Amino acid sequence: MGSAKANLKRKASIIEANDATANAQAAQDSDFEDFGGGILNAVLDDEDSEDDSDFLGEEGDDLDDEEETESEDDIESEDIPTDDEGEEIKSAITNGINPNKDEDADDRPNYRIEKDANGGVRYVYDEIDPVYDSDDTDAQGPTNTIGNIPLSFYDSYPHIGYDINGKRILRPATGEALDSLLDSIELPEGWTGLTDPETGKPLNLSRDELELLRRVQMKEVPEEGYDMYPDTVEWYTSHVEQFPLSAAPEPKRRFVPSKHEAKRVMKLVKAIREGRILPYKPPEEREKEQEEEEEVHYDLWADETPRPPNVMHIPAPKLAPPGYDLSYNPPPEYLPTNAERKAWEETDPEEREKTYLPQKYDSLRRTPAYDEFVKERFDRCLDLYLAPRVRKNRLNIDPTSLLPKLPRPEELRPFPTVASIEFAGHEGRVRSVAIDSSGQWLASGGDDGTVRVWGLSDGKQQWRAKLSSEDPVDVVRWRPGQDGLILSAAVGEDIYLMIPSTVNPELEQASRTILDAGFGYASNAKQQTTTTGARKDPPAKWARPGARLEDEGVLLKATVRSPIKTINWHRRGDFFCTVSPTGQRSAVAIHILSKHLTQIPFRKLPGGAPQTASFHPSRPLFFVATQRTIRCYDLQRQELVKTIQPGCRWISSFDIHPGGDHLIAGSYDRRLLWHDLEMSARPYKTLRFHEQAIRSVKFHPGSYPLFADCSDDGSLQIFHSKVVNDLMEGPTITPVKMLSGHRVVNRLGVTDVAWHPHHPWIASAGADGTCRLWT
Amino acid sequence: MLDTPSPIPFDFLINGEFLRTSLHEYLEAHGLNAEETLNIQYVRSLIPPAYQASFEHNDWISDVDVLSATSRAGVWSGDKLALNQDRIVSASYDGLLQIWDPSGNSLARSSSGGHTASVKAVKFLSSTQIASAGLDRTVRVWKYIESDGGLQRTLKPSLELYGHKASVDALDVHGPTGRVLSASADGAIGLWTTSKSSAPAAPASLLPGAGASESKKRKLSGASAAPQRGPLSLMPIHNSPTTAVCFDPADASVAYSASQDHTIRTIDLTTSKVENVITTSHPLLALTSLRRNQGTASSSVLLAAATAARHITLVDPRVSASTISVLTLRGHKNIVSSLAAGPDNDYSLVSGSYDGTCRIWDLRSVRAATKSEGGGSVSESVYVIERESLKGTKQRRTAGEVPGRGAKVFGVAWDKTFGIVSAGEDKMVQINRGQDLLASS
Repeated sequence: MGSAKANLKRKASIIEANDATANAQAAQDSDFEDFGGGILNAVLDDEDSEDDSDFLGEEGDDLDDEEETESEDDIESEDIPTDDEGEEIKSAITNGINPNKDEDADDRPNYRIEKDANGGVRYVYDEIDPVYDSDDTDAQGPTNTIGNIPLSFYDSYPHIGYDINGKRILRPATGEALDSLLDSIELPEGWTGLTDPETGKPLNLSRDELELLRRVQMKEVPEEGYDMYPDTVEWYTSHVEQFPLSAAPEPKRRFVPSKHEAKRVMKLVKAIREGRILPYKPPEEREKEQEEEEEVHYDLWADETPRPPNVMHIPAPKLAPPGYDLSYNPPPEYLPTNAERKAWEETDPEEREKTYLPQKYDSLRRTPAYDEFVKERFDRCLDLYLAPRVRKNRLNIDPTSLLPKLPRPEELRPFPTVASIEFAGHEGRVRSVAIDSSGQWLASGGDDGTVRVWGLSDGKQQWRAKLSSEDPVDVVRWRPGQDGLILSAAVGEDIYLMIPSTVNPELEQASRTILDAGFGYASNAKQQTTTTGARKDPPAKWARPGARLEDEGVLLKATVRSPIKTINWHRRGDFFCTVSPTGQRSAVAIHILSKHLTQIPFRKLPGGAPQTASFHPSRPLFFVATQRTIRCYDLQRQELVKTIQPGCRWISSFDIHPGGDHLIAGSYDRRLLWHDLEMSARPYKTLRFHEQAIRSVKFHPGSYPLFADCSDDGSLQIFHSKVVNDLMEGPTITPVKMLSGHRVVNRLGVTDVAWHPHHPWIASAGADGTCRLWT
Repeated sequence: MLDTPSPIPFDFLINGEFLRTSLHEYLEAHGLNAEETLNIQYVRSLIPPAYQASFEHNDWISDVDVLSATSRAGVWSGDKLALNQDRIVSASYDGLLQIWDPSGNSLARSSSGGHTASVKAVKFLSSTQIASAGLDRTVRVWKYIESDGGLQRTLKPSLELYGHKASVDALDVHGPTGRVLSASADGAIGLWTTSKSSAPAAPASLLPGAGASESKKRKLSGASAAPQRGPLSLMPIHNSPTTAVCFDPADASVAYSASQDHTIRTIDLTTSKVENVITTSHPLLALTSLRRNQGTASSSVLLAAATAARHITLVDPRVSASTISVLTLRGHKNIVSSLAAGPDNDYSLVSGSYDGTCRIWDLRSVRAATKSEGGGSVSESVYVIERESLKGTKQRRTAGEVPGRGAKVFGVAWDKTFGIVSAGEDKMVQINRGQDLLASS
């Protein structure tokens, strides 16, 4: 409304300056300035002149506008508000509204409250007053009042409807009259060729609208005179403001401590010290504290004084510092591969080497919490208090230096290495084997009850004698000495002494003489037993074995009371001892060949059943082995010299070193034991190399420092033993060769071994029915 | 020159060794560069000793000898040897001698008055005389007569020689002088003569029946009445069984003996003294002599001795020899029991072993021994002759089995006419071709 008023004022001044017709330019200017008003006027004019001037020309329109502007200007120039305006202002005042403030009209209520006749509240709305130059288009509402019906209903009438006053609106001229007119005139400016459906007049565009279209087409700002880039008005920065500084002195209170505040603080401090002010605690916590105060605690260690640590105190070992694999970002080589990860996951948690798998994280803040922490600490605590910690002196010794310096087997040649000759012929197991003292003949006895003599160097069977058809030949032994060739064999309770035919008449004759020498003494021995008064059987009966065996060369037979398992000759060839483990009191017997006499040296033998017995190679000592001990007796003084305890469960055989100071024993519990007779009753060395029981052990009787054992696992083992005279140095025992080749039959392998007297050759008897010579 | 009617195969030697593989493999085996220059010698190729025949015996055969125009006994016999009178004599463990012709017919067998126990050695003295020795401690000389154009043949004992106190295991003969050498298990070497008149009387104590029991006498009553004689000399020079003896090939008054006491002794037979003792490291079981540089001034003798340690040692028996052990022949898998020198040349040798093979050695093929073999020079066999009897059975060889089980070779002889004749535990006399086995230089 303000702008409208300004427009009015401007218009008034223009009119005052000059009349409209005189200065067309001025009118044009004002017309353009009053853009909004011009349009409104034209609309208003249209209402009036619609009836007649439907097809007014441009000039006519212009004229019309000018005339109306003049008339309006005339009215306005009077500067007197019309009644309408006056009323409006009046009503605005009564409503408490400044009518000039049109912008605020939306904010305040557009009604007033009055009391009606009944005394109730009545809303009285303002009369809407379309101001003269307001842009309210409702004011130019349709003049045709026929409503929303098609105009075609009025086709038969000369009018097309009625105006608001009920007068007919006549149909504009159409047809030929118009055509002729159109022909005569040019197409008017603003012609659209459309008909306004409400008025029925041609719908033409006004000059302003054309101008507007033109601007839009030219992409200019549609409104005339709009400045898009106005000059800035610097309201503030251009103003310089000055403030004066106070010259008044600083007040004292700004730098002197406040006595009042100090007083108040002291008051608070005093209250805190006296306990009147307490820090805040939740009530339940306070109650708990009170309860705790009421409980009574006793400190057991109150008067304890620190003591120095005990000698046996061992601090817990420290955990190893974490390694690369415990890092949150370990090097890639520490990261497990898929296979490792799978293996780790598949193993039992108890058996894992590490309780964790190295994992990689981009940064430390992405590392999750360690969920095994509590378990790990618990395990550590268990480790610490369940595992006793003991201080031990660790020996810092290189274990290889403790091993004896053994020579290489190659340096200890010669020793038997391969099987050279097989002596095949026995049916069933061969139980015993022996090589005679000349080294030419090998004797064997076996389960078939035969004794066979073989040529050692060619493997040809030279002689055989069947001693028994039921009992096996348990043992065969040659009588030592070169003066005769006498073989002894034990079958059951019988000892047979025989002279194998080796086509050597002198030797046979000499042997026969040796065997027959005792027949004169046999009666004497019998007499001796009778003179003692006790009518006892002699311990053995010596006799001829019978004509059949005598023809074969078996010349003498001695029968004892129980089955004999072992025969061992004294080195001179006159004595031999037999052992029958089942014979209670007469288990060990010593036989004198030259007298055909049998003696039983032990009436009672401690230590259980004897297993084997042997003469010492040089001294008058006699060794008897029971299951667990070997006893050494002096035959001359008839007393026990020493007891050897090999520490095995069941001795199978033993042999005495040709030097006489050492002894080896083999046992059924797979042990081979070396004893130094001068040193101790305990073994000097225990060798456990066999998988099965050891059946026999033998020293080489000649010049070679060898000994051998044989076992039920079908193998022989050859050892080299260096025995020195120095008492300070023990013997050196080196295993040099394992000879295998005998088949294991019924869990029996090699039953006996015998060394060649001169060469490093050994003969073995096997349960597979063969003997072998190993060279 | 190359236009021969039949192709002649060649063998090649590199550095004195026969090339048995391809040249490439040889280079690889010896680590040689392909750029290196090799001295390759070539000789006429050798034809392997093909199997020819086997004659079966009743018992193990302990020794064989051959008689032919080219054999030693044939040469000694000279004109007395009838044409085509090629014979093989074999000695058996059953105490019998048997004479064969080349086609395998048993011509004669010793019947009565023979050995009372196993015969251990047999040798032809001449076309009519055979010497044998055995376990019965005797050396016997036999008269072998073929009459009526070879239709009637008799093998009769002509002399029994007593003196040894144990089994006589080896023999050697010298035809021209009629001397026989024997080696016995009692450690003695006996020197005997085949002439009845010059031989001393037999020691009475050793004669059969002397001091024997009645039954023994009865048993021996069937003995023939061959003359009984004693030794020319009996030399107890070994203290272990003597296993082999041989005459010096050039000088019949010198003999060599080998024993299980590891020694080879040179004996001057005229004085019965030991002239040289060579000690080896193993028991010796066989001995043969080889001549070196035959027909030249530096002619000498090389002895090949078979040891129980499965190899053959070649020793120089001269007192002045700088190196005693010349060469070791390795390859046998068991005890070597017999040796025979090649008839064609002085560098070929055949050996029989308990492992059931005969091996033929070329003494020119020498290589240095490895450390485990103990140094020295080593040669390896050129050919291996298996026993035909083993081939038929084709036993499964198990790991622990004794090598040559059931087919021990006890005797071997090599003659130009017959080839290689070997015999052993399998009761067979086996003949293999023996010509051109080794290249002639």
